[in-house]
Amino acid sequence: MTQPWAATPAGAPRMAGRTEPASLADILERVLDKGIVIAGDIRVDLLDIELLTIRLRLVIASVDRAREMGIDWWEHDPSLSSGARDLVEENRELRERVGELEAGAAAPVDEQDERRRAGARPARR
Amino acid sequence: MSETYLTWVYAVARDLDPAILVSVDGIGGGPVRPVADAALTAVTGPVPAGAFGGEALQRRLSEPGELEAIARAHHGVIAAVAAACPVLPLRLGTVYHDDDRVRELLAQRRDEFAATLGQLADRVECGVKVWAGPGALAGTAASEPAGPTAGPGGRDRPGAGAAYLSRRRAQLAARDDRQLRAAERGAAIHAELSALAAAARRHPLQDQPPAATAGQEATGQMVLNGAYLVPSAGAAQFTAAARAVVADLAGFRLEVTGPWPPYSFADGTGTEDDQP
Repeated sequence: MTQPWAATPAGAPRMAGRTEPASLADILERVLDKGIVIAGDIRVDLLDIELLTIRLRLVIASVDRAREMGIDWWEHDPSLSSGARDLVEENRELRERVGELEAGAAAPVDEQDERRRAGARPARR
Repeated sequence: MSETYLTWVYAVARDLDPAILVSVDGIGGGPVRPVADAALTAVTGPVPAGAFGGEALQRRLSEPGELEAIARAHHGVIAAVAAACPVLPLRLGTVYHDDDRVRELLAQRRDEFAATLGQLADRVECGVKVWAGPGALAGTAASEPAGPTAGPGGRDRPGAGAAYLSRRRAQLAARDDRQLRAAERGAAIHAELSALAAAARRHPLQDQPPAATAGQEATGQMVLNGAYLVPSAGAAQFTAAARAVVADLAGFRLEVTGPWPPYSFADGTGTEDDQP
């Protein structure tokens, strides 16, 4: 094994291996959702980031693939780049959207997201 | 003018040789530095307060391009350390005012960190995702909702309403059946894989299969999103075993990722799942 980790730091060539290279979606899933939560001095609302990733999942699962194809539309999509937009407003919209999704057909999956989020609060010490 | 810096914490490690950090790039290409307290070392790096304090950090993480760069850098540092010694990955976005605050953290939680690091030493995490293809979860009967039911010949509205309700009930029942079978199958595969691992976790299922892009059809419904802690030397063996488990199941597709630093087990190797 030439490279014990499937990490693909930006710019580094991907290692061929038994397993798939770490996609951006896989990395985000781990660094945002896993890893021990310690309350540092600077408050980051992980819930907001999780909400963001729910939306990002709709597009970002394939960011690596899309980039390979030279597609970078999400970098210019105003709904995906917060720019000067008010985060509070954006979060409100996200929550509404998530509510709609949860009320929709993919109920079991969304219930899990709901449970996870419900569980995420107390875990944040 | 001098810029103020905050301390970003990537991970807590045991028996870390600080020399390996010299060649590792942190967020924004910045340096990665050890903050040691007895046998434990926090792997940290300075980040500009103007760009990483409070709202600025939140805003930065909400920008997909920035989020990607930070996530890759955070993961890159953790992976580099994990290749050398036991490591406890920290959730992205753990930032302290200065190194002294990090030392306080290490001192306060020394026993807990040491215990978890003991469980994670010489182990890596493998990620396994399994999808059920179309039909793989179909039942033996009434798996798909029937088309318009041939009622008693369009007599009146109540008949049409009853037919609709009946059809709708059948649709919901078929969906419930599929969900039930998906849950059962996911649990069964997870049980088989858990038996091969030192510890296992089920993570929330994802609503979008990775290949459902660029014009490709969705490849099915995810039935398992698991993480398995295995000996560092046994990752290839585990991967092969996982492939064998799913290869026996018609219509199911599997993806193994890793080996990863033990992100999913950073709070210990207890058996609690993200989902029941």
